[in-house]
Amino acid sequence: MSRWGMVIDLEKCTGCQACTTACQVENNRLPGENWQDVLFYAEGEYPSGKFSWLPRPCMHCENPSCREVCPTGATFKDKDGFVLVDWEKCIGCKYCMVACPYGVRFYAEEKQPVQPDIRSVFPGDGDKMWNPPWQMPEARRDPKHGVGIQPTNVVSKCTFCYHRVSKAPAGTVDLDPSNPALRDFVPACVVTCAPSARYFGDLDTPTSEVRRLIAEKRGTRLKEETGNRPQVYYLAGEQSSIPETRSTRIKS
Amino acid sequence: MTTRPNSQGLLGLIDFGKKPDGVTILMMLGGAILAGVGLAYVLLQLVLNGHSAFNTSSNVAWGAPIAFYLFFLLTSSGLSVIASLDTVFGLKVFYPVAKRCMWLSITTLVAGFSILALEIGHPFRMIWAIPMGMQFHSPMWWMGVFYSIDLVLLCVKFYLMHTGEWHTKRAHYVSIASFTICILAPGTLGLVFGMMAMRPAWYSPVMPMYFILTGFATATAFILFITSLYEHEDKQAEVKRLYTSVLPRLFFVSLLAVIAMRFGQIITGLWSNYEGMEAHWHALRSPLFHVEIWLGFVLPALLMASESRRQYRPFQALAALLFGVGIFFARLELLIVGQVVPLFKGSFGGYAEYWPSATEWMLVPAGFGIFYVLYGAGNWLLRLSETSEQ
Ligand code: SF4
Ligand code: SF4
Repeated sequence: MSRWGMVIDLEKCTGCQACTTACQVENNRLPGENWQDVLFYAEGEYPSGKFSWLPRPCMHCENPSCREVCPTGATFKDKDGFVLVDWEKCIGCKYCMVACPYGVRFYAEEKQPVQPDIRSVFPGDGDKMWNPPWQMPEARRDPKHGVGIQPTNVVSKCTFCYHRVSKAPAGTVDLDPSNPALRDFVPACVVTCAPSARYFGDLDTPTSEVRRLIAEKRGTRLKEETGNRPQVYYLAGEQSSIPETRSTRIKS
Repeated sequence: MTTRPNSQGLLGLIDFGKKPDGVTILMMLGGAILAGVGLAYVLLQLVLNGHSAFNTSSNVAWGAPIAFYLFFLLTSSGLSVIASLDTVFGLKVFYPVAKRCMWLSITTLVAGFSILALEIGHPFRMIWAIPMGMQFHSPMWWMGVFYSIDLVLLCVKFYLMHTGEWHTKRAHYVSIASFTICILAPGTLGLVFGMMAMRPAWYSPVMPMYFILTGFATATAFILFITSLYEHEDKQAEVKRLYTSVLPRLFFVSLLAVIAMRFGQIITGLWSNYEGMEAHWHALRSPLFHVEIWLGFVLPALLMASESRRQYRPFQALAALLFGVGIFFARLELLIVGQVVPLFKGSFGGYAEYWPSATEWMLVPAGFGIFYVLYGAGNWLLRLSETSEQ
């Protein structure tokens, strides 16, 4: 048993959104439905204003509020720390979307901001929402873990690339994308990250790279006050910081 | 005054011999048209466009349909509480409206469930997935459990009343159980919102109380409005007293309580610096909010404030109608206020945009249509004015 976690070094991240794109293609997402997004923040005013960004996947919380509220058990936490949605059980009540403090869940059955609606350009068959031109191999699809082409009327979210990570050789602690033997098992966003700002490994192993970074570089988690205890840690360092607010209030 | 059914079976309980009066015919016909048009439009849109016919988004996941079903479900619980004031607490003054309240409670619940079924992504999967899930840490799971029990108990209680059983031991037990559920169900519905610590504008231990109270106030408004359509019923002195004095007073007091609670919410919301609470400032700029507060709460309270105005049936009907409209928009306002500040979407999005689509609005005639047809049918066939002999 592992407890997979991610470390994102904000001093290294360039905000290039390659992770966003890699995730889109890897997981057959709709345009704009960014399981892995990079959020941009403007704080202060010229000439002392600050522009910052924050890559944001699902936090795969230790105490996920999305799971707590799900009335069917469709959202569950797997023994290895993944928080997943069973697309065969989800009823599309969207309570989990309301309850996730990080806004990382999606209901794709909505009016698409970009027209023509790509779902009508590549219409799905059976209960599949669409039929994208790029597709995950059939053998890797796994609706019980929210992996692959999404069926209609269910909620989706980042799986930490469950279909890759869960196939890693037993006992692996650090999923280092620079190791060719492990590369296929590393989450797509981590593999793609050009400045290597992302690390993925077992949070329960004291000697893992992720644990070392969290300890040495003072890893922080978002919105600790909610008690969700994310398994995604940020390293803010001296050159960067966690954006100060999500508030839309105009300061007086 | 109670007539007992003399033939066997469920059909034997229905008075087919009676002719429906004008208001009832109008209600059923109007209801059938509303329900037909509303349901046809919504179903067509759902078939053609799926749930993208709704204006909800990943930012505003819960839209108007949730507000509409809240309106019906909470009203239903309130009506059942009024019906329990006599059968559970022995306040015999409420006997003349008890049976009508029970039927209204069933019909509003069915209307609410119908809207919910059209909103949810997989309504049929829900039927097995919720009971099988056994997710007892989810407030929504409990809500499903309580409202399902509620519907069964309401039907049983109505059946007992209808067959003349108002005072037997089992009728009493059923009444107590039904009353308990009618507090638990809206209370749990309040928890569905009130427990959301990550949505500060909703987060409040008071939310269950607010839901129970507003449900009760809406129920008094409903019964006042509905009975004002049937002037002929208040021939007897005690029935007249109920309609002109007891119910309007109860309505006035519950209105004051709702206003006090709502103002408490607004003031704490505007005062707090906690992130997400700025939604209350956003609400202040929304017309919905002012319809709710001034037209829906304050004006009816002024209308009901003096004894002479309270006794006047047209004023009662007007105040009840205004409150009904106000609380309807209050439900929508509540839905929006909790979601308008987006969670972690960067600082360029501003507030989340949301206004119901035509399909979402058409759920209103659909819901009211279902309610009118069922209520009208009950009024025609089920002797709703019947009361206990004791
Ligand atoms: S970030 Fe949100 S969706 Fe992901 S596990 Fe935590 S609560 Fe659930
Ligand atoms: S939308 Fe699906 S996963 Fe989310 S709470 Fe409802 S049933 Fe659970």
